[in-house]
Amino acid sequence: MTQSAVPLARDRKNGPRSALAMIGGNYYLVGALSVVAFLAIWQGISMNVPPVILPTPAKVFAAFVELTVSGELVKATAETIWPFALGLAVAFVIGTALGLLLGILRPIARFLDPYIFVFWSIPNIAWLPLFIAWFGVGNLTLVIFVFVSAVFPQLLTVEAGAKEADSFLVEVARSLGGTKREILFTVVLPSALPYVIAGLRVAVGRALVGIIVGQLLIVATGIGYMFQFYGETLSLAKYFAPLIVIAALAVALNRGVNWAERMLIPWKSRAFT
Amino acid sequence: MPELEFIKVTKSYDSPSGDRLLALDEFSLKIDGGRFVSVVGPSGCGKTTLLRMAAGLIPSDSGEIRLDGVALQNPSPKMSMVFQGIGLMPWKTILDNVALGVQLQAHRPRLTDEERRRAEATLALVGLGGFERYYPHQLSGGMQQRVGLARALVRQPEILLMDEPFGALDAQTRTVLQDELLNLWGRVKSTVLFITHDLDEAIYLSDLVVVMGRRPGRIKEVLEVTLPQPRYSYDTRAEKEFARLRSIAWQSIKEEL
Repeated sequence: MTQSAVPLARDRKNGPRSALAMIGGNYYLVGALSVVAFLAIWQGISMNVPPVILPTPAKVFAAFVELTVSGELVKATAETIWPFALGLAVAFVIGTALGLLLGILRPIARFLDPYIFVFWSIPNIAWLPLFIAWFGVGNLTLVIFVFVSAVFPQLLTVEAGAKEADSFLVEVARSLGGTKREILFTVVLPSALPYVIAGLRVAVGRALVGIIVGQLLIVATGIGYMFQFYGETLSLAKYFAPLIVIAALAVALNRGVNWAERMLIPWKSRAFT
Repeated sequence: MPELEFIKVTKSYDSPSGDRLLALDEFSLKIDGGRFVSVVGPSGCGKTTLLRMAAGLIPSDSGEIRLDGVALQNPSPKMSMVFQGIGLMPWKTILDNVALGVQLQAHRPRLTDEERRRAEATLALVGLGGFERYYPHQLSGGMQQRVGLARALVRQPEILLMDEPFGALDAQTRTVLQDELLNLWGRVKSTVLFITHDLDEAIYLSDLVVVMGRRPGRIKEVLEVTLPQPRYSYDTRAEKEFARLRSIAWQSIKEEL
């Protein structure tokens, strides 16, 4: 009975399932199929609704090329990327430094935590009128808005990481004769490093929202303004072009964070390679 | 040879119910230089507390712990501790983990060439030459504890404190590491204070086995182990003297359980 059961099970595996398994095993083939299926469904829907609801992929592609050739999309991307990068970079540096400081020096954290919590709890869009009143309508306000959007997730994540250094590892370092300062550099800071990356992952997403909202509501430039303009004028084919740029930017940033993670935290990522 | 002395060491903790829990009550023990001394006892008898105080990780309430006649307060550069939980830094390579033993001893952020060579040699000594650039998670538990041992030995300690170092390992790995520890001890000749709950392990490794009674910790029995060195795991364990000592120690511990 066992003898017949084993070959039967194997037959089933080698039978009709194997064709699917072969396709499923090919990473690039699955990716290509996914793109083809997506475009086919899009095409199918767009042929059955008015173009003002959903333009065809071909029309979107043509609009993308047109906006790229005319320079409009390139200009808008440049106008978007620099305030985004500047705001995010400052938020990353200040958020990481302050987060480490607050995680290590608990009295300072007790002093500042309530304000940070209140600031963080208020939806950042609510600050926008105030920022405009303080800093005017311009790129400065935009950068500050991106900064405020990104700094809190960075700060709070890093603070949590620095606070939660493994007490056993601290004890081991102490038994080896480590001073407070040495323990800070050999245990506390390295164990906070994964949190720096985790914070960055969230901060990037928030900064991306910040830049688009900011461009929509403050400066009327860049990718954010293209959404507004082509959305309101119902030029949907053109509306999709900045969307593609933002999606590509988000994917590229995510790849960048993954790369930074592999570089900075080799002891973690190596577990999966 | 350095000697380690506990003089009327008392230690109590706050219990969750609010009263004081006496862990060690006027514990006195003198460990002569170069000896391998094991402390066995039921869980909660204060044996780990004893070791943590010797390591300078926690203070005693009263009494003194002396190294060569000098009272110990803080972790001493003349000692190394090996933990059951090992405690390798996951972000450091194996070599850097071993090097940490000298770095925190010498308080130098950068290794000298001599220190680096010493770390490499110690790693080779515990049988892990070639694993310098691995990370801890890439090693088995037994290999990780070899690294823990190398991190302790690279400091060339006068006293080696070991807190159930093989307690979390499987039986085969434990037997192999016990033999390697004896072998290494034969070469480095430091004084060893070894905590375990495994009677076999204590008798097999030690010159002297201290049996502790339950809380508050005090010495119940001290057994001199006269089994000849070098010892060979199953041969030594098959000797009559081994069986005799184990039976005495077991009788003594059983009354405390």
